Amino acid sequence: MKKQLAKLVAGLTVAALASLSVPAVSGAATTLRIWTDADRKASVEKVARVWGKKKGVTVTVVQKDFGKIRDDLKTVDTATAPDVIVGAHDWVGELAANGSIIPLTVSKSVAAKIPSYSLDAFSYANAKGNKVLYGAPVALENVGLVVNTRVAKVPTSFDDMVKQALAFQKKAAGNFGLVIPGGDAYHNYPLFSGLCGYVFGKDAKGNLNPNDVGVGNSKLLANAGAIDSWNKTGLLSSKVDYGIAKNAFLAGKAAFWVTGPWEKDTLDKSGLKVKIVQMPKNKCDSVPFLGVQGFMVTKFAKTHKVESQARDLVGSYMMSAGAQTQLSSENGRAPANIDAAAKITDPLLKQFAAAGKGGVPMPNIPEMSSVWGDLGTAWTNVFKGSDATSAKTAFRTAGKNIVAKIG
Amino acid sequence: MSQSVRYRPSFLAWLISLFSGVGGLIVKLMMLCILNGITGWAIIVLFTQERVIWALGTTAVLASIDFIYLVPNRFLPAKFILPGSVLLVAYLIVPIFFTINTAFQEYSTGHVLTKAEAIQTNLEQNAVQGDRYFRMAPARDSSGALVLVLVDDSTGDAFIGRRSGLEEIDPTTVEVDDFGDILPPTGYSALIGDEFFEIDAELAAFEVPLENGGVVRTEGLSGAYDSAPGFQFDPTSGALVASDTGVEYLDNGRGSFESADGEQLVVGWREYIGFDNFTAVITNPLVRQPFLRAFAWTIGFAGSTVLLSFAIGLFLAKVIDKQNLRGKKVYRSLLVIPYAIPGFLSLLVFKGLLNDDFGLINKLLPFDPPWLFDPWWARLSVIMVSVWLTTPYFLLVCMGALQSIPTELVEAARVDGAGRWQVFRKVTLPLLMVVVTPLLIASFAYNFNNFNNVYLLTGGGPTTEDQSVAGATDILISYTYKLAFESGKGQDYGLASAISIYIFFIVAAMSASGFLRSKALENMK
Repeated sequence: MKKQLAKLVAGLTVAALASLSVPAVSGAATTLRIWTDADRKASVEKVARVWGKKKGVTVTVVQKDFGKIRDDLKTVDTATAPDVIVGAHDWVGELAANGSIIPLTVSKSVAAKIPSYSLDAFSYANAKGNKVLYGAPVALENVGLVVNTRVAKVPTSFDDMVKQALAFQKKAAGNFGLVIPGGDAYHNYPLFSGLCGYVFGKDAKGNLNPNDVGVGNSKLLANAGAIDSWNKTGLLSSKVDYGIAKNAFLAGKAAFWVTGPWEKDTLDKSGLKVKIVQMPKNKCDSVPFLGVQGFMVTKFAKTHKVESQARDLVGSYMMSAGAQTQLSSENGRAPANIDAAAKITDPLLKQFAAAGKGGVPMPNIPEMSSVWGDLGTAWTNVFKGSDATSAKTAFRTAGKNIVAKIG
Repeated sequence: MSQSVRYRPSFLAWLISLFSGVGGLIVKLMMLCILNGITGWAIIVLFTQERVIWALGTTAVLASIDFIYLVPNRFLPAKFILPGSVLLVAYLIVPIFFTINTAFQEYSTGHVLTKAEAIQTNLEQNAVQGDRYFRMAPARDSSGALVLVLVDDSTGDAFIGRRSGLEEIDPTTVEVDDFGDILPPTGYSALIGDEFFEIDAELAAFEVPLENGGVVRTEGLSGAYDSAPGFQFDPTSGALVASDTGVEYLDNGRGSFESADGEQLVVGWREYIGFDNFTAVITNPLVRQPFLRAFAWTIGFAGSTVLLSFAIGLFLAKVIDKQNLRGKKVYRSLLVIPYAIPGFLSLLVFKGLLNDDFGLINKLLPFDPPWLFDPWWARLSVIMVSVWLTTPYFLLVCMGALQSIPTELVEAARVDGAGRWQVFRKVTLPLLMVVVTPLLIASFAYNFNNFNNVYLLTGGGPTTEDQSVAGATDILISYTYKLAFESGKGQDYGLASAISIYIFFIVAAMSASGFLRSKALENMK
């Protein structure tokens, strides 16, 4: 019995000793925690530390998968939650509706340096229909038409592009004219907008209106015959996926490729001579979707007692030309700040930025989750070769399904 | 002849020997101490994060482990089932409990906060911003109280902001540093470093009243703006009242604030809504319309995957089972490869192989079946790939089961003059089925919910004739995913949980009837 008691005492003593170290671990959190992805981690760390040094604040940068930043924000423990996240503008609606990020206010002088569309991209309408800003836009990205200038000229018009593409395609077996990942609503958006398609219209106050779905709008349906002809002539095929498109273009077997600045390094190293432009105007302007990345302040900044610091970092420092120039040079995207944008020297980056002119920010309202799948399916179905659905039917159906899903 | 065999203990025996004798007691005690230490730490962390139920649960588990191992009692045999039971509860019972709990809640995009947080968030998001913006520096006055040094961004007028109001000062006394930040005038001291953490909450909530009824609020560490509340919370009626129109938004019992004419505020909270999610599943036209087709396909997919892979697996097992087959081990290893490669990888590889124009399979075939683009071909592809992934499992199971069948039974049948096929049909197969039927049922239930195979290969597509949201290869669970996470206004966890409970009952009913049949098989023996 005594032996048993000795055991008990030994076990409990160690338990008590181990527990003593706990308060030290969960001690005061006098640092500002930022969540960002692997691509941006180094640049964010560098830039945020400059700010931290000046303000006397320790900045901790935590690396997460890009998509996880949004998802984990829902379930994270308050103790380890981020005060600031780096994310995409199309998360804003969902995160604001969930109360996960907090509204910011910026001075007119700061706002004047950021293009209004990228501020709008980070805004979400409140109950009164007023735009409320939730983040600091720092980097822009969009797809452009990459022209292999050894085999094709920069097209002067949409028809010229189609003509050159088809001519190059017929030249040799295994040649492609224009490569766009099949069934991908994002990469196909320039074609879509060129035929006057849109995703959501805007209400009187300029906010996205989820009840105005433009996927099957009458103008687009009237122009849809063009899509059928691209299928018939074999200009586009949904069997071309991202990898096939990329490999074909890099092997010099495609005249035109629709892609974005994330392929800039690949293009630089490819040895191809390329020029990037906006897809030429078709029936309407063939503008791409714009993606804006930026910094947002989470609701946890309040609990961690760093709200004012986080607002200062995001709302004033990250909006500045100095911070954005540095971020841009480190991660290869065009900065949002006008002064910083004027300073880009990289030719491809500049061309990608120019190709985004007049682009449409991807809708940031939560209803967008109803759109991607069906719009992508429509693109798959119209470029299926001989089995293709007529574009009129495909987009009308997609529009109908999206409206039904939004409910 | 006495031969002294030197007994060399196996590694396992050596490992077990570690746990006996005095040394063993010390090892066991040390391990228990480590468990106590780690769990004790976890309990304290849980308590500091106010997860009281979790902390108490963990304490109870730890206490019972200590009790069983340390205090001499008649519960000692419980040590054999305790670890398993704890894991069963943690990984099975708790998730089931959460799913059921969520199914009865409005828990979706816009409904994740508590009600108190939702009120606060609505007040914050709807504050009306005025048109004055100030550059600001927090400072302390001579008495040590927090004040704001403010410079109007457009006029350049300077102020000291206190909780009592604005006091205008001479703008020339306020200097600007290299970063463009303003410095407090003499008589006021700037804040630095950790002081910011101390005053954060105070600064964020600092309001300087203005004559027009609005307030100046701080924005970060270097800005401030005038703002007026857009909503007021009325604690007596529990309503949010719009300051300009006077419209009342009342708690609608479904986790939202709603006005009399049905307008809902976007930011709501998690709320129990009874069976609404379950009825929503039934009344939703997006569910009802393709349900029977998706249901039939789910059964067809799961059933044919299981039967085909069992048939092929059994055939291969029979072939390999031959006593005098050369290179048996090589065949066996080769055949198990699909099972050893992670399914995610094989599925993506197959997606490439089956590409209509550029895939290897169509390059080898004389004709080009539209594997992933035609509804029926796509269904065939999904079944084919699933069979490829599942067959090795049944091969392994059948090889084991065939060996357990007593050879004398087979021999006896042969002696009685039964042919090969007859022996297989009448002796081997029935005995095999007794072992394998429960596994077939389990595999069916698994494939019934085999989200990966469908989602990674076809994404549920292609579109069927009726052009509905459910694609040709969408099984119930992948369609659930589309409904709950790729439609409406973002994600709907409540709806997803409700549907998965329905699916549970469907699978349970089908498995139960299957098990009843297998009981009948056993009785036959």
